[in-house]
Amino acid sequence: MNSQPVVKKDTKNKIRVEFDRTPLKDRLKAKFGNMAFYSNVVWYLFRFIILLGVSYIVLYPFFTKIAASFMSPDDFIDVTVMLIPKYPSLDQYKEIFIENEYMSAFFNTLALSLISAVLQTFVSCLVGYGLAKFKFKGNALIMGAVILTMVVPHGTVYLSMFMQFRYFDIFKIGEVGIIQLLTGNSLQLTGSFWPMVILSITGLAFKNGLYIFMMRQFFRGVPDELEESAYIDGSGTFRTFLQIIIPLSIPMMITIFLFAFSWQWTDNFYTEMFMSSNRKLILMPDIVGVPKTLETTYAGQELYYSAINNTCGIMIILPLVVLYLFCQKYLVQGIERSGIVG
Amino acid sequence: MDNTKVNSVSSPAPKRRKKAASLDKRKAHAGWVFVAPFLIGFVLIYLPIIFDSIKFSFHEIDPVRTGGYTLTWVGLNNYQEALFVNPDYVKTLISGIQQLILEVPSIVIFSLFIAVLLNDKIAGRAAFRAILFVPVILSTGLIESIDASNNLSEFMDAEAGIEDGTGASAAAQLSAAIDLEALFANMKVGTGLVEYVANAVDGISDIVNRSGVQILIFLAGLQSISPAIYESCRMDGATTWETFWKITFPMISPMILVNAFYTIIDAFTSESNAVMKLIDSVYSQPDGNVLSSAMAWMYFLIVILILCAVGGIMSAFVFYQRRD
Repeated sequence: MNSQPVVKKDTKNKIRVEFDRTPLKDRLKAKFGNMAFYSNVVWYLFRFIILLGVSYIVLYPFFTKIAASFMSPDDFIDVTVMLIPKYPSLDQYKEIFIENEYMSAFFNTLALSLISAVLQTFVSCLVGYGLAKFKFKGNALIMGAVILTMVVPHGTVYLSMFMQFRYFDIFKIGEVGIIQLLTGNSLQLTGSFWPMVILSITGLAFKNGLYIFMMRQFFRGVPDELEESAYIDGSGTFRTFLQIIIPLSIPMMITIFLFAFSWQWTDNFYTEMFMSSNRKLILMPDIVGVPKTLETTYAGQELYYSAINNTCGIMIILPLVVLYLFCQKYLVQGIERSGIVG
Repeated sequence: MDNTKVNSVSSPAPKRRKKAASLDKRKAHAGWVFVAPFLIGFVLIYLPIIFDSIKFSFHEIDPVRTGGYTLTWVGLNNYQEALFVNPDYVKTLISGIQQLILEVPSIVIFSLFIAVLLNDKIAGRAAFRAILFVPVILSTGLIESIDASNNLSEFMDAEAGIEDGTGASAAAQLSAAIDLEALFANMKVGTGLVEYVANAVDGISDIVNRSGVQILIFLAGLQSISPAIYESCRMDGATTWETFWKITFPMISPMILVNAFYTIIDAFTSESNAVMKLIDSVYSQPDGNVLSSAMAWMYFLIVILILCAVGGIMSAFVFYQRRD
């Protein structure tokens, strides 16, 4: 067997090498004829099927909700109807849109979510940076306070938080605070956006502790040399923060913004606590309910009402789905990049 | 505001040396400025809220028509009422904690499993990752409360018309098809374990929906393990199974602790939690608001104890690689 490769010169700049290739049979045998290959294939298929199944479990509720949202009352008593409605109708969407005043809920919630999310993102960035990069007495104590705000459940502070903003005052000693001394009465902030704005500015709103923690972990991964070189070039702390640190952390801030925005969007705890007293201010939680024109009395009534509530849910998360489709990369990477790890 | 306070506290040191504040000092001052928004809010708003909440739990509260409210001291009455008078509290609390203890391992193990599956190259990896994260964004707050009051599921079984919206029926179909308990009964393992696994499979949709963040945390942890370690293991002839237990598991153990904490906090502050539901329903009863505060504080203390216990036990087994 002549195994010596032969080099032939085709033209001035081109050569051709001729050699005996290993026969196709042997090559295939080497590639497919061993156990390792098959175990890899089996492992790959196993992983793929499991992941597919888990994805199905995650997405399934959304399929059924979407299917039910297009059904008319007749479909709910028809035993033959599974996922695809026999008598499709858009009544549910139409009535929720018109009668439950979807548009005003949409714009009010958009305004509230944007305001809170922007404030929360900026404040978490500030506080996270302060906790990560500056050593001062009480640093660990403040971090402990941040974690405390994360750990205390809503239910624990429900009553007193409501009271705080219903009779808002600062520097309260006993029953009287500064505002009451000046104006004679405490402020009623419930029924407006103010409680959310105040909670956002001070980093106390929903899951803000988590955002601060993520930001802190992210900044701890940023090398100190970056700031040191800026200091040596004569830049002050705040200029360094604005011109070096903020541009650097924009992907992380987008992550935080998306979290804050979408959690505020579907929030019903704070929204109902602070704004349910104001009937004129229609927000997302207010549109959940059966529109009057769809009220019926027949066998499938309860099922139909459930479907209507779920349709409300679909309409609430529809804007978020659009947002998620475009931004999921940031959300997913943000958690990974935040270095909650390590 | 806080900045000036700190200045006055720390000023004697520079004065003695008759020099401008050192770089460290100035940096410390800047640090206070950065954390000021949170600190002001914490001291002026959050601490009073916490303080009030504790105070309310020892009082009766009556709103006054002219604005404001009156408090009357009742001592430990609310706590006694919660523990001995209210028929549901102790029962719900115990079953809630049992459920928490059972759920946390399933969620942590499940998310580690999925993270390991996702870690290697696979077709549609990004898509799977995105799908698994969907519930974190879309199944919270309002949607969660709509799902909780969903009575589609009860009708589904009876009518078998369309499917309900909670995903529980998908899992029910699954477990009915496999008939897990029969499968395990033949394997001669304890009935307790069989029941646990069967429950976990029945609640798979719940588990999947709640492990989005944990999967990502594990994935990030797995990515940070140096491939060189795996290569040298393969050189020495270790199997994948051995590599997992000897390399991956110890290296990922800090993440297991983080995820256990995250899962516990997430589980007991979520609105679908039975104890939280009870507290919410008590709150909306007439004169129930102070009682709910008392219940919530007892619950909070118990969970803190659980967190300490879990942290204490698990940190003994966590392996930290010294990187520097």
